[in-house]
Amino acid sequence: MAEGGTISSQRRKALFVLLTPITLLLGAFFLIPLGIMVVYSFLEPGLYGGVVWSFYPYNYGRIFGWPLGGGEEFEPLYIQIILNSLYYAALTVIVTLVVCYPVAFWVSRMGPMAKNIVLFAITLPFFANLLVRIYAWLLLLRPTGAVNTALMSLGLIDQPLNMIFTEFAVIVGLVYVLTPFMFLPIYASVERLDWSLVQASQDLGATPFQTFRRVILPLTAPGIAGGCVIVFIPALGNFIVPSFLGGSKVQMTGNVIERQFLQARNWPFGSTLAMIVMASVLLLVLAYTLWMRRAANNERLAGAGHV
Amino acid sequence: MSKRRFSSGWTALHIYGAAFLIFLYAPLALITVYSFNSNALNMAVWTGFTFDWYRTLFGMQPAGAAFDAAFTENPDRLLGVLRNSLIVALSASAISTVIGTATALATARYDFIGKRIYQALLFMPMIMPDIVLGIALLIFFVGVGFKLSLATIIIGHCTFLSSYVYIIVAARLAGMDNTLEVASADLGAGPVTTFRRVTLPLIMPGVIGGFLLAFIISLDDVVITYFIAGVDTQTLPLFILAMVRRGIRPQINALAVLLIMFSFVVASAGLYFRSRRN
Repeated sequence: MAEGGTISSQRRKALFVLLTPITLLLGAFFLIPLGIMVVYSFLEPGLYGGVVWSFYPYNYGRIFGWPLGGGEEFEPLYIQIILNSLYYAALTVIVTLVVCYPVAFWVSRMGPMAKNIVLFAITLPFFANLLVRIYAWLLLLRPTGAVNTALMSLGLIDQPLNMIFTEFAVIVGLVYVLTPFMFLPIYASVERLDWSLVQASQDLGATPFQTFRRVILPLTAPGIAGGCVIVFIPALGNFIVPSFLGGSKVQMTGNVIERQFLQARNWPFGSTLAMIVMASVLLLVLAYTLWMRRAANNERLAGAGHV
Repeated sequence: MSKRRFSSGWTALHIYGAAFLIFLYAPLALITVYSFNSNALNMAVWTGFTFDWYRTLFGMQPAGAAFDAAFTENPDRLLGVLRNSLIVALSASAISTVIGTATALATARYDFIGKRIYQALLFMPMIMPDIVLGIALLIFFVGVGFKLSLATIIIGHCTFLSSYVYIIVAARLAGMDNTLEVASADLGAGPVTTFRRVTLPLIMPGVIGGFLLAFIISLDDVVITYFIAGVDTQTLPLFILAMVRRGIRPQINALAVLLIMFSFVVASAGLYFRSRRN
């Protein structure tokens, strides 16, 4: 395909045709909207949901306490909600990781036929409607739901357990919805694991814990990191799970953003909160990319050392 | 060898894995059972088998004796919503398939300045939280003066579906060498002929797989659609959201089961094509 060093004009034309649609699509309907959102977060909220076109950094002041002005007051509630969201997202990451890690080993040691079937079975629920999957937990956890009915008919409890509209319900919902995102990257790294290294570690007298800690864990770290990142992101911005399973008691940043846009109609303030979510996500992705690059470099250096 | 050493834990792992699969499927199985339970007051108590919830969903008379007529849905409304969802999912996935495939061909078969920027940019819509993309599009459409409608939903879906298709098709192109394409070009075929007669048939399973998965992701999308649908346009997930917010009723189970079944069939086909080898 490489016709010498120069690109023929025909090829250049073909490349132009291939790239124009995506450039227009992502330029006009992704980058520009996000840019406008950034601008909105620095505008003054107007009456009836509009904006006043003047520089107004006080939306941030309302959240962080600085800068203040324009009649905005510091409301510590918002920092609390943001921190809570970070905490719920982190907890979701930990639970999905603990749940999925052993499963990845289970699947990786199967025969090819069973492996394909089980992988398919684990991927499929991801395509069931998000609302339906969360709604199912509403049916399970509410006072007259399946879990309480089962426990009461078994005589294990007299009163229904209060599970719905709690942090517990929100975490369960997030874990359930995001499990496939954690499983697939971890599975990919476990599948590539070189078992001869595990065996070598055992032959050299390492205990199972040492083998896990010094051999298996570092080798599967890229999958763990990838899974953590792609679970954390949708967990952080989620608002469907907390609005179904958290009710008015458990709030996440997503719920506040939704209210600012569709009820309070303070779009600049909603944009400011969305900016904080977006900034957290971009920082995380940046950290992950740098970490992966460093890991790749180390590997290359280690490889060079062997030669 | 190493397998044998781990065999003591193997049984435990089997039990754990089975429990994991039960965790994934039990909630969906529960809705399915509920959707056939004639008990209108407490779904958790089985009182007998019925198709009534499916029948009333489509405006048919319930067959059961004791039945609250207020439960009957307006079938025209549901059919309208279903039509909206299909229009959006078909258009958005078709457009995204063309755009995503074109982009994948560009990054796989050409070297150009800014290629890595494109590759990074293509990941952005997938890692951006839905709510951020949803409100950014809402501000944009309202600001530019686009009327919120099916068209805005289709555009919004294309922004992230193109990336999904891109990744699936690019993965297929990466696993394929370009010998046949070079041969075709050497034999005098132009780029269009080479694409149509050689490249496209080779990447077809990836393209079909990408289309089907994009279709089902679009059909199921809640959050982005929620913000850019406007007041008088509703898709199936928004219809279900409104139903659940009005209160839990047995018809929701019936509709949920139908949607799950449809999603599973389309997604299975998509996964099959994506993984198919030549």
